Amino acid sequence: MRRWGLFFIVMAIGAAAGMYFGWVENPVKYVDTAPDSLRMDYKTDYVLMVAEAYRVENNLSLAARRLALLGTDTPEVTVSQALEFARQIDYNDNDILLIQSLAEGLKTWNPSLEVPPP
Amino acid sequence: MKDDRGPWYLLTGLILGLVFGLLYSWIISPVRYVDTEPASLRADFREQYRALIAAAFLSNGDLQRAKARLALLADPDIAKTIAIQAQLAQDRAGPDSEKNGLGLLAAALNPGSSPPKPALLPSSTPTAEPTSTLTPTPVVALNGEASPTPTSGTPKATRTPAPTSTPLPSRTPTPTQGAPFILLEQSVVCDPSIKQPLIQVEALDSAIQPVPGVEVIIVTDQGEDHFFTGLKQEIGLGYADYTMQPGLRYLLRLADGGDPIPELAAQECEAEDGSRYWGSLKLVFIQP
Repeated sequence: MRRWGLFFIVMAIGAAAGMYFGWVENPVKYVDTAPDSLRMDYKTDYVLMVAEAYRVENNLSLAARRLALLGTDTPEVTVSQALEFARQIDYNDNDILLIQSLAEGLKTWNPSLEVPPP
Repeated sequence: MKDDRGPWYLLTGLILGLVFGLLYSWIISPVRYVDTEPASLRADFREQYRALIAAAFLSNGDLQRAKARLALLADPDIAKTIAIQAQLAQDRAGPDSEKNGLGLLAAALNPGSSPPKPALLPSSTPTAEPTSTLTPTPVVALNGEASPTPTSGTPKATRTPAPTSTPLPSRTPTPTQGAPFILLEQSVVCDPSIKQPLIQVEALDSAIQPVPGVEVIIVTDQGEDHFFTGLKQEIGLGYADYTMQPGLRYLLRLADGGDPIPELAAQECEAEDGSRYWGSLKLVFIQP
């Protein structure tokens, strides 16, 4: 019995060492990530960039295509989540207004009416 | 019964444990990077990210904000990267705002270069609104990493409003009010497609936006000529040119002040077949 006990203890030590190596010392490296994995503050800044660009482009289809990189949510949901986060972390009023403007535009946007790009 | 198999079973257990641990940590439950940073984005996403930064820069004219965002990508030489992407963008299909933004951003990050000729923007493009007053400043997150969150900060000086680009045939160019322009770059343009040597003038405001309506004065032995930027909108809102006569020397100055640029003359260029032709001069002015 003692022999089996030692065996399992050593095996547990080995497993712990393996997990330490795999999680801490040499974890899986994600070097080619997609924007949908970005942290929420980066996503919010990304949405703000889309909103800033939308101000001069006035092109909801283009904005929606950019927002689609952030995940499978609809552009409207993505922007509303970013807007909520922006308010939580005290974005300045101008930036919040820009995101709001994009959100308002997306409410009226109907992708089925878009002419596909040539 | 005495067991004399020795301690090798312990090594077996350790190895089995290690294998299980690695299997679990690498395959069954690997580290999940759900909160990644822009620096880890795949190359094509990074390119789109930079283009979006440039389009946003075109909108807000906030170079500090653009730089802070570009820094998140951790490119080793971001100025060069943007310059290359700006050049490539000119030949690719894509939104004009990204092309123009990349060109202006490249010019802003590479003070010694001139931006690629911008494509025309929709009529609503250059806005006369002030820039957003805040710059994204990194804040330390719980895990100690920097984040790009724009936060309340010191208001910056309001950007000089850029004139609207609405192309009205009867529009009278109106210069942007601001500090006198200074010469940012002077270079020889060897382009065989330009049949006559030109003095090409590009006027940019402090936000690296092209400025139409800037009066340019050319002085020669034979007299004085005046022309304005923005009259060739198909090339650029801040662009103007003047045809030089080879052998003549010109003095150029802007009507709103600044130092005159003397001794301008057509320069000889050499074509690939060894033939020589007259090159043009490019002068980029900027409001400090």
